[in-house]
Amino acid sequence: MEIKFLTAGIMVALAAFAAALGNSWLFSKYVEGAFRQPEVRGSLFTQLMILFGLVEALPIIAVGLGILVFFGVL
Amino acid sequence: MELTPKVQFLGLTFDVTVMIGTLISATVVFLLSLWATRRLQMRPHGRQVVMEMLVDFCRGITRMTYDDERTAEKYLAITVTLFLFILVANELGVLLMVVADVHEPIPWLGLTEEALKEAHGVSWLKSPTADLNVTLAMAVAVALYSHYAGIRANVKNYLRHYMSPLLPIHLVEEFSKPLTHAMRLWANIFAGEILITVLLMSYPLITGAPLLVWMGFSLFVGVIQAYIFTVLANVYISQKIAH
Repeated sequence: MEIKFLTAGIMVALAAFAAALGNSWLFSKYVEGAFRQPEVRGSLFTQLMILFGLVEALPIIAVGLGILVFFGVL
Repeated sequence: MELTPKVQFLGLTFDVTVMIGTLISATVVFLLSLWATRRLQMRPHGRQVVMEMLVDFCRGITRMTYDDERTAEKYLAITVTLFLFILVANELGVLLMVVADVHEPIPWLGLTEEALKEAHGVSWLKSPTADLNVTLAMAVAVALYSHYAGIRANVKNYLRHYMSPLLPIHLVEEFSKPLTHAMRLWANIFAGEILITVLLMSYPLITGAPLLVWMGFSLFVGVIQAYIFTVLANVYISQKIAH
């Protein structure tokens, strides 16, 4: 049982936790805003997609590095 | 992890999957653009409509980022180029990934005996953006272009930018912005491809509906990440010309 499996598991688990929290805050604010003002739904959706990409960036960088650690490359 | 064939030329190592993938992406974008812009008419119908929708979409990106419309038109070309190329390159891995089992070593491609024993297969075609070198090249190119655009726009403002008290933070930003710019795109596409490979390798157990769902999500993520890369490229260019 090498340390790289444990390392990769911790990296991906923390990344998943952080991505879940960040995305849930973001999407809940979007739903709330779209509910209050249905006419700005379209432009709010554009902003939502941009911010989803930015919020998911660092967790998924952690997942990418975790995959590299798992295969022993990093 | 899959082994990739590599070619040595003048002391540099070239990855064959990246070369084939980039060639295919560039050719597809070129042929699509050529096909869509034959016999341009003032009232478009058919394929010209699709191309005009794409260019209008990118014009929306530039109008959102820059203050006035003249600079927005100036940077439309690089926006459309980046968006189309990254879009096709991201979707290439979902639609056309080729992994083979090579039994005899091919030394001139870098597939030696011991490397073949350790790897799970040899990949011949995957997304070019699943390779960190490709995304880093694009991000560094955008960063250098932003410096060039800043100098060309206003040399005095560009140099005054270096005499602010926040200089160490700006210097760190010069390295971290291209790095995160590249790694965001790379990690999204790479993680998606690894998961496709894992779902395909666990054949009797969980293939079928999860694979289709994940491939659909990967197509969606490819579009979103192409959009994010293009928007952020424009933001970084605008940060240098705005002072």
